[in-house]
Amino acid sequence: MAAQAPPVAITGLGVIGATGRGVSTMDAALQQGREGVGPLTLWQSPLDFPVGQYRGPRLEDHLPALNLPPTSRSDMLALVAAQEALQQAGLAPPALSMARAGAYLGQSVCGTLTSEAVYIGAKESAAAGDTGKRSYAGLLVHEGANTLDLMARIFGLPGPTLNFLTACSSAANAIGLAAEVIRSGRSEVMLAGGADSLSNIVFNGFCSLKVVSPDGPRPFDRQRQGMMVGEGAGVLVLESTAHAKARGAKVLALLTGYGHSCDAHHLTAPHPQGRGAMEAMAGALQQAGLTATDIGYINAHGTATRDNDDVEARAIAQVFGDRTPVSSTKRFFGHTLAAAGGVEAVVSVRALQLGQLPQNLGTRDPEPGLDLVLQPRSAPVNHVLSNSFGFGGNNAALIFSRSE
Amino acid sequence: MGIVVTGIGVVSSLGANTEAFRRALLAGDCPCRPHPFRRIDGSVVTAPAYIAQPADAAGLIEPKKLRRMFRLARMSAVAARQALQQAGLDPAGMDPARLGVVFGTSMGALEVTQKFVDSWLEQGAQHASPLQFMNSVHGILASQVALDVNATGVNLTTAQRDICFEAALDTACSLLEQRRADVILVGGADELTDLLHEFGSRLHQFTLDLAQRGIDPGTSRSAVIPGDGAAVAILERDDSPRAPMARVERTAIGRHDVGDDVVSLAMNAASAIDLITTALDGSRRAANVYKRARYAVPSVSHLGSFGQYPCAGAQQFVANVLMLNHREGYAPLANGSPGPAQMAPKCILHDARSVSGNHAAYVLSRA
Repeated sequence: MAAQAPPVAITGLGVIGATGRGVSTMDAALQQGREGVGPLTLWQSPLDFPVGQYRGPRLEDHLPALNLPPTSRSDMLALVAAQEALQQAGLAPPALSMARAGAYLGQSVCGTLTSEAVYIGAKESAAAGDTGKRSYAGLLVHEGANTLDLMARIFGLPGPTLNFLTACSSAANAIGLAAEVIRSGRSEVMLAGGADSLSNIVFNGFCSLKVVSPDGPRPFDRQRQGMMVGEGAGVLVLESTAHAKARGAKVLALLTGYGHSCDAHHLTAPHPQGRGAMEAMAGALQQAGLTATDIGYINAHGTATRDNDDVEARAIAQVFGDRTPVSSTKRFFGHTLAAAGGVEAVVSVRALQLGQLPQNLGTRDPEPGLDLVLQPRSAPVNHVLSNSFGFGGNNAALIFSRSE
Repeated sequence: MGIVVTGIGVVSSLGANTEAFRRALLAGDCPCRPHPFRRIDGSVVTAPAYIAQPADAAGLIEPKKLRRMFRLARMSAVAARQALQQAGLDPAGMDPARLGVVFGTSMGALEVTQKFVDSWLEQGAQHASPLQFMNSVHGILASQVALDVNATGVNLTTAQRDICFEAALDTACSLLEQRRADVILVGGADELTDLLHEFGSRLHQFTLDLAQRGIDPGTSRSAVIPGDGAAVAILERDDSPRAPMARVERTAIGRHDVGDDVVSLAMNAASAIDLITTALDGSRRAANVYKRARYAVPSVSHLGSFGQYPCAGAQQFVANVLMLNHREGYAPLANGSPGPAQMAPKCILHDARSVSGNHAAYVLSRA
């Protein structure tokens, strides 16, 4: 576990996903209980499961000034969220360069929606005996590094830019580790979060595991039938408190704790006693210098699969007891995979700012043992913990705290 | 607080363990060979490549565990076990929560991913293979290694084009400094599959010219000779009771086109650098990104010895540790032939410049 460490300021938030584009749109969706469950329309699939798809205006239309080269859906989701976060922080290229700013992003799907189409097209051509010239340019956006290169070029980031690929805990790890870059003094500002788009590979993959619900996720419901694959991006502007103060930036919240662990138990199933999940939460509390009773709200990973929710509920109860309000926001966004920790970091910071705990949408018959937030709840809180757990038994927990 | 290297492991085209790798570097062997690659349309193209030798897991990993691993994971797990063995570390005797794994990989498990896609293309989406999907997840590499050695501490897979390994190294050093772990297996691995070769050659990034017998870092051709492999190092803080093989003096990472001069950051390290290793791979693109480099000491690229791939920096790291630990130098290869022998360095700067504008550097010195 890490030693207690000084907090890092959060001065910008950006989000996009099934709730729409932007933090204010997300706030409204959370308050009104507007679920993100809907049909898959990005391609035709024989698998009839709902998804958490972004359904707003074309992504390119949110980025008119950026003069983008051909790029992937995942790249654009990340850029839209990063642009919003930087605008809120009031940071533009010259200041970002001076601050040796960098970007740490969690991604797993990356440009797969584009690159898988190149592969499928090549297979179909080969099967048809078509020997004509084909374009392979779509492969150039396959790597997640493409997003980072675009961000570095567009926003003028001279500092470290790195992808973390720890499945569904990727963005939480990216945020926690970006804070360490700031604490080390190597950068004053970091963009941190995650982005992932839907793709055939992940949709078919989760369906093959038989963990996708036919009517959307109902986290911590006794009758839950599984998860919903989603897409989106959540990006924070992290900044040293001294840098934020010196430029008079409004500090939205503080990142005070980050804990991380690996189950080393199974490629997809969580450790049955939630050992790794508890270690991650305890590590975050330790770094923040807090105890369990200080946490006023937990944004759970809460995918709504049978095993994951069981184990997470057990781990939360073990660390926090049954009096800390808990909700999963997966029915609003779907499971945005590597982006989940970024999207849910934005949700967590807004809960602190607004004193409004988002509801555990979709749950009708709650599992006992947790204080599930079944309706939006007004509750001023000082510290919020956000969990993210991924394949490979990869666990991360972040703690956000009020700035004043 | 300093960081030291206490063990290394490698599965390379040069050799499937550290000693074979070292002997080949000393002998100036070039493992570049014509290799048949099957294309999507069923045709076979033969092209030069540096393909890693089969990972020899005997005495390191139980056969039952090994059977569950795909090639990339197998190479990585074997290299990790070699490194642990060399450091005299038995994971069973360690606190698993203090043992971490940080791996760089650009493409992840590409071969498994292709099999997964083929499973639903050929049999329908309803019949996609769940096992292949599980193993296709990019970050599963570090998890596979952690599963093998029961490491429940930090577990990260990083990617950033040609500096995947250097980024993993930078991250691992930082995690040790934060005391988030006591021992970290830091590695880099990528596999050259038929599909990757087809796409790389169609995008004119990989050469099909069989007259090329190996990478010549001094040239500026339009395409490179690809390779693959895995390499791992054990990193610990310098208060470790184990004998260090080399000391990591400094790591730095950033963008060479817009910001801080990463090399000058790294060169602020305490020791006097007497050798610089680079990632020059004989391509025009690499020659362009290195043309601004002005070195006051000799520089060398060993990519002629083990090929170009995104995590080739991991093999260069192992070669650098070996040079420092054994007080010897390895001649660079040019088109399959050894160049002048290198002096035995005391302190090495590795300068990794990626064509995408990413830049990483580290300084290693004798322990």
